[in-house]
Amino acid sequence: MFKYVKHLNYPINIRKKDLRMAKYLLTQFGGANGELAAAMRYFSQKFTMPDDKGKALLNDIATEELGHCEMICTMVKQLTQNATIKELEEAGLGSYYADHNKGIYPTDASGVPFTATYFAVTADPLADLMEDMAAEQKARAVYENLIDLTNDEDILGPLLFLRQREVVHFNRFKELYEYYVKKGY
Amino acid sequence: MLFEGNDYNFDMAYYSLPGMPTNMEKMGSKNILSPYEGFLRGNMFKDEYDPYKNLTYLKLKPKTNQEKLLYEIMSLCFAINDLNLYLDLNPNDMESFNLLKSYIKEKNKLTDTYINQYGPLVIDETTGSKYEWLNDWPWDSKRGDMYV
Repeated sequence: MFKYVKHLNYPINIRKKDLRMAKYLLTQFGGANGELAAAMRYFSQKFTMPDDKGKALLNDIATEELGHCEMICTMVKQLTQNATIKELEEAGLGSYYADHNKGIYPTDASGVPFTATYFAVTADPLADLMEDMAAEQKARAVYENLIDLTNDEDILGPLLFLRQREVVHFNRFKELYEYYVKKGY
Repeated sequence: MLFEGNDYNFDMAYYSLPGMPTNMEKMGSKNILSPYEGFLRGNMFKDEYDPYKNLTYLKLKPKTNQEKLLYEIMSLCFAINDLNLYLDLNPNDMESFNLLKSYIKEKNKLTDTYINQYGPLVIDETTGSKYEWLNDWPWDSKRGDMYV
């Protein structure tokens, strides 16, 4: 069961409209290495973790990732607020507008919609955790690419926070992976 | 560079938790940061913190008392979550467990204050005389100067 808590994981107050960054940031919602894939990956994998530590960790990180989806969507929403159709078209978002208007739809930065094939569930804890570690590294790399693409502090603050969470999650998954190797799973 | 020399440039005037130690160097072998410092970094563990290039983090500038109180609650929620993940793998670390409990106690105290003044953050915290769930959705920035 989930309860909604009415605040973000980290504050987002973006003052400057930036359609270019909105288009890029969307990939961390609906892209291959994005937060939605992360949340669904760990949420799905938690059911076959072999012990209580694994069940707890996958459950708790999956829950946090849902909060990160909300952060990315909030950024896209604020970055596109009050944009005109002409501005959207000039930023390469004309076809996005055709399908979604200013709705927040999970795609990557090129407009490719989210798909469950972005993640795997094998019920093999070592295989699943190794994928999770790779996923965290890839998400960290994408956050670094996004950080390289802007100098707006209102965007950088949340991106640096989210990038650091990838570092932490990678470490926790790695610790669990090594623990499971020792236990002979 | 934007963040140069900004490593420890958080302003404690924005934030102080009653009863919380301020010298985090002395907080155990794992170097656990204060909730606010950890929150800004996105990592409660000083020895695990791994910044990108020379970009560290930004300090938060709450514009209202409501925002300030909310950031304090968010800091504690963050600290609770990060210790939660650590304790999932280290459930017998009593020092961290006791720290978790102290953060929860503090978070509940601040949340009670927030609820009384601004309404619930979770629907089942509703206590006031009217339905206040419709206010303040977190994806709507409250800044008046935005969208310029």
